[in-house]
Amino acid sequence: MRPRMPVKAGYFTVPDDPAEPPRLLGTRCRDCGEHFFPRRAICANCMSARTEDVLLGPRGTLYSYTFVHFPLFGSMRVEHIGYGVGQVDLPEGPRVQLPLAGKQEDYRVGQTLEAELEALREEGDHDVVIVRFRPVESGR
Amino acid sequence: MKDVAVLGVGMHRFGMWAEKSHADLAREAGLAALGDAGLTFRDVQAAYVGHIFAPVMSAVRTMKEFGLTGIPVQHVENASATGSAAFREACFAVASGRHDVVMVLGFDKMSEMIQRSGAGTDPAYLEDSILPAAFFALWATRRMHERGTKPEHLAAIAAKNFNNGALNPMSQRQAEQRVTVEKVLAARMVAWPLTTMMSCPIGDGAACAIVGRPEMARRLHPERPVVTVLASELQTERYERGHLFVGPVVGPARMSVDTSRAAYEQAALGPEDMDLVQVHDAFAIEELEYYELLGLCREGEAEACIERGDFALGGRVAVSTDGGLIARGHPGGPTGLAQIWETTLQLRGEAGKRQVKDARVGLCHMMGGGSVCVVHILARA
Repeated sequence: MRPRMPVKAGYFTVPDDPAEPPRLLGTRCRDCGEHFFPRRAICANCMSARTEDVLLGPRGTLYSYTFVHFPLFGSMRVEHIGYGVGQVDLPEGPRVQLPLAGKQEDYRVGQTLEAELEALREEGDHDVVIVRFRPVESGR
Repeated sequence: MKDVAVLGVGMHRFGMWAEKSHADLAREAGLAALGDAGLTFRDVQAAYVGHIFAPVMSAVRTMKEFGLTGIPVQHVENASATGSAAFREACFAVASGRHDVVMVLGFDKMSEMIQRSGAGTDPAYLEDSILPAAFFALWATRRMHERGTKPEHLAAIAAKNFNNGALNPMSQRQAEQRVTVEKVLAARMVAWPLTTMMSCPIGDGAACAIVGRPEMARRLHPERPVVTVLASELQTERYERGHLFVGPVVGPARMSVDTSRAAYEQAALGPEDMDLVQVHDAFAIEELEYYELLGLCREGEAEACIERGDFALGGRVAVSTDGGLIARGHPGGPTGLAQIWETTLQLRGEAGKRQVKDARVGLCHMMGGGSVCVVHILARA
């Protein structure tokens, strides 16, 4: 397997094991316990600077979704002409919006999803990857 | 807000103006506004200029088109709310007594920005792989899940705005025939359930307002009703759990509630007093949500109101009377000033075929990058 490189550093992990799902790089406030994505230095809830790095996910619940009928920006791959986007509530609290794997008929509000990496394009000997969510239960 | 009036307004029609420069667009809107006010550039004591996509120093450079008189010129930028934020600064400059006549100018060429940016290939943002329309589509899908909203409701809003735009010579989209719900639904799908006709177009344009004192408005045009600014409110987000920090396009719904409430309080009026309302209808779902968030109807009643035609011209309270962002267009910097242009003409009774009967109070609402909300309330004195 080709080495993988995140499209943007500081947002998600790229595990060495391709079977292992990525985690989102988040922050936890050590004073009030609130979690955030992406990382931040000061807690947005209580404004404490006593924050620490944590890993979030990889599973979440679908809050809303859409299917975009245009190519995914930055991708040259034909299977990216048309892609899902979801708002996903992580069990720790944050809501994130990211691309979804699958088709519109695979999505329903409230379903469980899991994060995965998807190659957007090649750069040298690397695959540039984004993080997206895939419905865990089978479609329908 | 006390003793602030709109002395004059002017626009360059929004559209695709590849052959025109920022200066060409700005000059036409600015001279139109000065002419409408009955003033010349020599009378202007300060300028607030809004653009999003033009290069550094474009504000000061563009103002040289009108003359080099040494006045202070400030660039204001707040994404889609740029023109509204610049207008607010001008109102406070007059209200504070610092200046008597202030020019507010907004211009942009979004068409060039789209070409330059290569749309989304900049990896500076994680969400940059996602089309912005998707974020508003997420709002729509959730609403459909919670309230049973149908694509037909969104299409009805878009059709209304297209048909209002057809009555506005400054509107970018000019439908030749009356636009129907069916036609909007049949347009190309952008991001389910939003079609191209439920989405604002890319465009270029300019708009300008001259702000000053009500007594000056009376003196310059004794025959014309004076349009005053009753409220100017700008707020940013308040944190709540589930806040989206990545993809700052839509913004929390509460921001529109809080900002409009503060504006109503400032004006000592309520939503029921509004005769016409302009909103940030970049996508039809937004206008639907703003009916409720601005208090134009109760929560959960937007769909029934749409079915009754409450927000059409001649309805209970006319919304997006000039076509809104969907038809009139949304170049960026000038958009908020196009709302001021429309509201001023309506309150003077000069809006022609789209005139709201006996319009006395109008509200203008804009969102910027999902992170700032601006609300102005204007009234016929």
